[in-house]
Amino acid sequence: MGGFLPPAERRSSVLLGLYAALSLLLLVTGERLPQAWLRGVGAGIFAPLDRIVLTADRMGAAWHENQRLHQRIAELELETTRLESARIENERLRQQLGLMTSRRLTLKPVEVLALSGEPVPASATLSAGHKQGIEMGDAVVTREGLLGRIAEVYPNLSRVILLTDPNAAIACEIESTGVLGVLHFSGTPHPRLVLTDVALADTVRIGQRVVSSGLSRRYPRFLPVGTVRSLERDPSGLTQTIEVTPAAPLSRLRHAFVVPRPHPLEDAP
Amino acid sequence: MRGVAALLVAVVVALLLRSTALSALAARGVVLDVLAFATVLWALRYGETWGSSLGFALGLAADLDAAHWLGRHALVLTLIGYAVGRLSHTLVRESSRTHLALFAIATLVHQLWSAAFDIGGIAGVPYLLQRVVLAVVATAPLGTLLVALLRRVGGQPLFSHASIESGPTS
Repeated sequence: MGGFLPPAERRSSVLLGLYAALSLLLLVTGERLPQAWLRGVGAGIFAPLDRIVLTADRMGAAWHENQRLHQRIAELELETTRLESARIENERLRQQLGLMTSRRLTLKPVEVLALSGEPVPASATLSAGHKQGIEMGDAVVTREGLLGRIAEVYPNLSRVILLTDPNAAIACEIESTGVLGVLHFSGTPHPRLVLTDVALADTVRIGQRVVSSGLSRRYPRFLPVGTVRSLERDPSGLTQTIEVTPAAPLSRLRHAFVVPRPHPLEDAP
Repeated sequence: MRGVAALLVAVVVALLLRSTALSALAARGVVLDVLAFATVLWALRYGETWGSSLGFALGLAADLDAAHWLGRHALVLTLIGYAVGRLSHTLVRESSRTHLALFAIATLVHQLWSAAFDIGGIAGVPYLLQRVVLAVVATAPLGTLLVALLRRVGGQPLFSHASIESGPTS
């Protein structure tokens, strides 16, 4: 290694000064740089390596997952048969009442290559991009529930902003009662998801499911988001804050599905 | 050029670990500061020039991945790499106590610096402090254990051949 730099202590001090100055410069002016482009380049370089590292981990888990999935498929086939008849009946009744019919979601399977963000993952790199039909704003889900939405798209990769991103806000409702609120990530007193702006008069119970309400039109309606974990009264006395346990396992992501955004002219409830 | 290649490999391995296995652990509260660990290890073995170089490269790559505050990790890891590299001339580099202390201090400094940027943002102060303590408690012993394991597997001291100036010449 000595060949790269002359073995002089002065050189190491100069290098230190250079690195420190560069770091400080980036701290001050970093926001003006095309960070999305730089991250795109980085993601492109690391994606194949991430795949290799994850392959070993996933092969071990695949065997157990396969067994579980066989059982789950059998259960879901029975459930689907029951729900299909209910769906037909529901659509017929909605048509008779003149209400809009719900849109069937199309799912594009993708692999989660890497997670980033501190102290909890706030974004993830996905194995599909513009060439695979992924677009900015598409919702991303796992079989358990909503994960986030696509924020950056590269030719063969994309970056999804998770529910835990501090800037994410999702219009939600309590599934069984229709109580509305906005889901945020909050860092105080500890990192958690909270449903805010819920009127104190609205009755909410621990364990109730929280789903996307579709009011913001960024996410389709009825995507599972989580379950109510605890309730607390806001200082104003008019509203309450609800802590929500996310439905999707944000710390252990392997596969996900991208849900294309509804077309502006489509009837989307 | 071998040195640059080794540095790049170290950066890639550390970042891959961080974005795959360790990120899942971190989300469960077990923070293993692989950036501080790699920087200390590198600086102990190759001295301050390469220690600060790895710290800067590793920090810059981590900054790009995190999408916020470019230069945040780069600055502190550069300084840690330099400081540990300088200290390595006078410390008993093969001592487990030295490793434990250096890993603990480096993790503490790195995590405190990183946490300072998050105050008032996504997490509260008690949580951030708890995270810093957990990172130190987890990284220092595990890092020391890993170094001891590497030494046992390799059958020879890890740091005895480092030159005072800028690392091994072969």
